[in-house]
Amino acid sequence: MDFVANCATDVADQFWAQTRNGLTLGSIYAMIALGYTMVYGVLQLINFAHSEVFMVSTVAALYAVPFFGVTEGDPATGLSVILIFIAVLICCMLASGALALLLERFAYRPLRKRGAPRLSFLISAIGASLFIQYLFVLMDGQHYLFPIRGIADPLGMPLVIIGLVMAVVAGALVVAGLRRGEAGWVDAGTLTGFGALAALVAGVVFVIKLPAILGPTPQSVPELFSTSTVFTLFGTPISNKRLLVVVVTVIMLVILDTFVRKTRMGRGIRAVAQDSEAASLMGVNINRVIVVTFLVGGLMAGAAGLLYQTVLNAPAFWFIGFRPGIKAFVAAVLGGIGNIRGAILGGLLLGLVEAYAVPCIGAQWIDVTAFVVLVTVLMFRPTGILGEQAGG
Amino acid sequence: MAKQQATSPESSEPSSAERRRHWQRAYRAQLQRSRAQRVAGSRALKQRIAREGAPLFSGMATARKWVDDHGKLTYPVLAVAAIAIAAFLPLLGDFVDLPSELDQATSGSVLARVALFALFALGLNVVVGFAGLLDLGYVAFWLMGSYTAAILTGAQSYSRAIQQGASFGDLPEPEWQMWMWLILFIALGVAVLTGIALGSPTLRLRGDYLAIVTLGFGEILRITANNLTGVTGGPRGVASIPHPEVQAGGFEVVWGTLTDAKYYWLLLGFVVLWIIAIRMLDQSRIGRAWVAIREDEVAAASMGVPVVRMKLAAFAIGACTAGVGGVIYAEQVNFINPTTFSLIQSILILAMVVLGGMGSITGSIVGAAALVIIPDALLREQDEYRFFLFGLVLVVIMIFRPQGLVPSKRRKAELVGEDDSQLVEA
Repeated sequence: MDFVANCATDVADQFWAQTRNGLTLGSIYAMIALGYTMVYGVLQLINFAHSEVFMVSTVAALYAVPFFGVTEGDPATGLSVILIFIAVLICCMLASGALALLLERFAYRPLRKRGAPRLSFLISAIGASLFIQYLFVLMDGQHYLFPIRGIADPLGMPLVIIGLVMAVVAGALVVAGLRRGEAGWVDAGTLTGFGALAALVAGVVFVIKLPAILGPTPQSVPELFSTSTVFTLFGTPISNKRLLVVVVTVIMLVILDTFVRKTRMGRGIRAVAQDSEAASLMGVNINRVIVVTFLVGGLMAGAAGLLYQTVLNAPAFWFIGFRPGIKAFVAAVLGGIGNIRGAILGGLLLGLVEAYAVPCIGAQWIDVTAFVVLVTVLMFRPTGILGEQAGG
Repeated sequence: MAKQQATSPESSEPSSAERRRHWQRAYRAQLQRSRAQRVAGSRALKQRIAREGAPLFSGMATARKWVDDHGKLTYPVLAVAAIAIAAFLPLLGDFVDLPSELDQATSGSVLARVALFALFALGLNVVVGFAGLLDLGYVAFWLMGSYTAAILTGAQSYSRAIQQGASFGDLPEPEWQMWMWLILFIALGVAVLTGIALGSPTLRLRGDYLAIVTLGFGEILRITANNLTGVTGGPRGVASIPHPEVQAGGFEVVWGTLTDAKYYWLLLGFVVLWIIAIRMLDQSRIGRAWVAIREDEVAAASMGVPVVRMKLAAFAIGACTAGVGGVIYAEQVNFINPTTFSLIQSILILAMVVLGGMGSITGSIVGAAALVIIPDALLREQDEYRFFLFGLVLVVIMIFRPQGLVPSKRRKAELVGEDDSQLVEA
C-alpha cells in the first residue's frame, strides 16, 4: 500500500513531463507497430525481423547525415534544417523499405511458395534477423574480413571461394543438363536453389569485404539540429525534437490511413486481410499486395528509426532494434493485431504506461513493464483492445 | 473338384464341411512349402554371399550375419558402442597424433560444451519438436539452474563479501562439493516450478504469441538477475562456485578445472540418461498425445487428450533438462553473470534443434555437435562470425531442408503434407 501511495505521488509530481515522454515514445512505437500489424493482417505471420528493418534506418542515418553536410558539433540551422531532415528521412525510409522487400523476397517468399508450416517462417525470420544484426557488427572495420581461421589475406581468399562456388554451380548445371533427359533426378527447383545459394555466398562475401573498400563505419550519428524549447505546456517544456516526432508521426499516419482506405491498392490490402482466397478470385494480385504491405511497413519503420535516433540521440548499433521492435510488437498485440488503428492506440498506450512506470519502479526495470503488460493483456483479452479486425 | 462332382455325384459324396477342411489343409501345406522354399532360398543366398563375397567383404558379411542372428540385441550393442566411442574421444589425443583442429575439437572443454548443448537441445526438442511449442526463452531455465547452484552453495554470499572488500583469507571458501548432487535435484525442482509458473498462464496462447511471451519471460528473468543485486550478485555475477566431488569410503572423484574431461563424462552420462528417458516418453501415450497436439490441437482436445496438461508436461521436461545442465555449467565454469543468459543463447539452442531436425533425438545431438565444433575448429574465435553464419544457416535450412539434417520420420511426413491455404501462394 505504501508502494502504491508513493507511486501515486511520484506520478502526480511528474505527470505532464511523463505524459510528454510517453506520447513521444508511443508515437514511435505506433509507427513500428504498423509494420507488424499490417504484415500480420495480410499473412498471419509475425515479421520477427522487423526490428532489423528499424535498425537499418539508423545505419542509413549514419551515412546520410554526414552526406548532407552535417558534422559532429556543427548542427544545421535555419531553413536548411527542414530540407536536410526531409532528405535524410527519405534516405532512411528508402533503406528500410528496401530491406523489408529483401526480407520478403528471400526469407519469406520461398517458404510461402512451398506452403511451409508457420514455425518455419518464424525461424527463418529469426535467422534473417541475426544475419542482418551481425552483418552490421562485422562491418565495424575492426573484424577480419573473412571468418575462416588461418586465412590471413582477406583479399585473395574470398575470391578463390567465390570461384569455387561458381565452379560447383556450373558443374551442377552441366551435370543436370546432361542427366535430365534420361533420369530427371534434378528438377528446376534444385537448379534455382544452387544458383540462389551461390549468389547468396557471393553477396555475403562482397558485403563483408565492403568495409575494406569504404573504410570503417562511423559509429555515431552527428546531431542534425540542436535541441531548443519551442513552447511550454502545463509547466512542461516541449522541445523541438519531440514536437517533430509527433508532427511527423501524425502526417505519416494520415497518409497511411488515406492510402489504406481510399486507394485501389489499399482496398486490395484490406481484401486480402479479410480473405486472401476470395480476394484472389476477385482479381487481386496477392503477391503484389504482400510486397506493398512489406514496403509500407518498412517505410514506416524507416521514419520511426530516424525519429528514435533524433529524439534519444542514440548511437547506431546492432542491437538498437531489439527493444523498440519487441515493444512495438507488444503494442500491436495490445491494440489487436491486424488492426491498424489498434496499433496506433496500442503504441501510444504502451508509451504512456512505460513513462508512468518510470518514477514508480525505476528505469532499470522498465523493460519488464512491456512484457508484463503483454502477458496480462493476452490472458484477459487475447484479441487486444480493439479486437483483431482485419485490415481496418 | 468340379470333375469329381460330375463323375460320382452319389457315391461317398464328401460333405461341404469336409471339402472345406480338405482345401484348407492343402492350402496350408502349400503355404508352408513355399515358405520353407523361400527361407531355404534366402539362406542359401546368404551363405553363397558369405562364401563367395568373403574375400571382398568378409567383415561386412560376418557383421550382417551376426546382426541377423542377434536381431534384438543390435540396437543396444550399437548404442553401447557409440557411447564407448564418445567416452573415448577426449583420450584420443593421447594415443594418436592429431592435426591441431581435431585436437582442439576433442579437447575436454569443447567436448563438454558439445555435451552440455546436446543436453539443452534434447530438452528444447521435447518442447519444440515433440509438442510443437515454440519456446524462445529457453535460456531462462538454464539461468534458474545456474543461479540455484550459485546461491545454494554459498558462492553468492562469498563473492559478495569479496566484492565488498573482505580479503580472501577472512572467509572460508564455499565448501559444498558433496552437496552438489542434492543441489542438482533442487535445481531440477526449481526449473520445473519455473516452467509450470510460466506455462500455466501462457500455454493457451496461439503459437506466435507463445514465442513472444517466452522470449519476454527469458528477458524478464535476465533483467531481474541483473537488478536484484542482493539475491543474485547483480551485473558483477557470482564467482567461486565450487566444483563437485564424490567421496564415499575410499572412493574419491574430484572434478577439476574447466578443461577437465570428467565434466564431459558427467554430462555424457546425463545425455545418455536423457536420450533413454525421452525415447521412452516419445513412444508412450504422452508422446502420442504430443504428436496429436502438434498436428491439430482442437481435434486432439476433442478426442480427450488433456491438452494443457500435456503441454505443461513438455514444458516441465524441457525446463528440468536446462536446470540440470545449468547446475553443471555453473560448477564447471565457476563464474556466472547475467550476460551469459542472453536471448542469443536461446536462439543458438533453437538453431541446433532446427538444424538437426525437429523431433529427432539423433538430430539434436548432431545439431549441437555441428554448431559447437564447427565454429570452434574452423572459424575465428569471435562469436560475431558464429551468429552471423547461424542466421544464414537458419534461413537456408528453412528454405531448402525444413526437416533438418536427421529428420524424424513422423515430423517429415507432417511437413510434406502441410497445406495452409493462408500461406500458400494463390
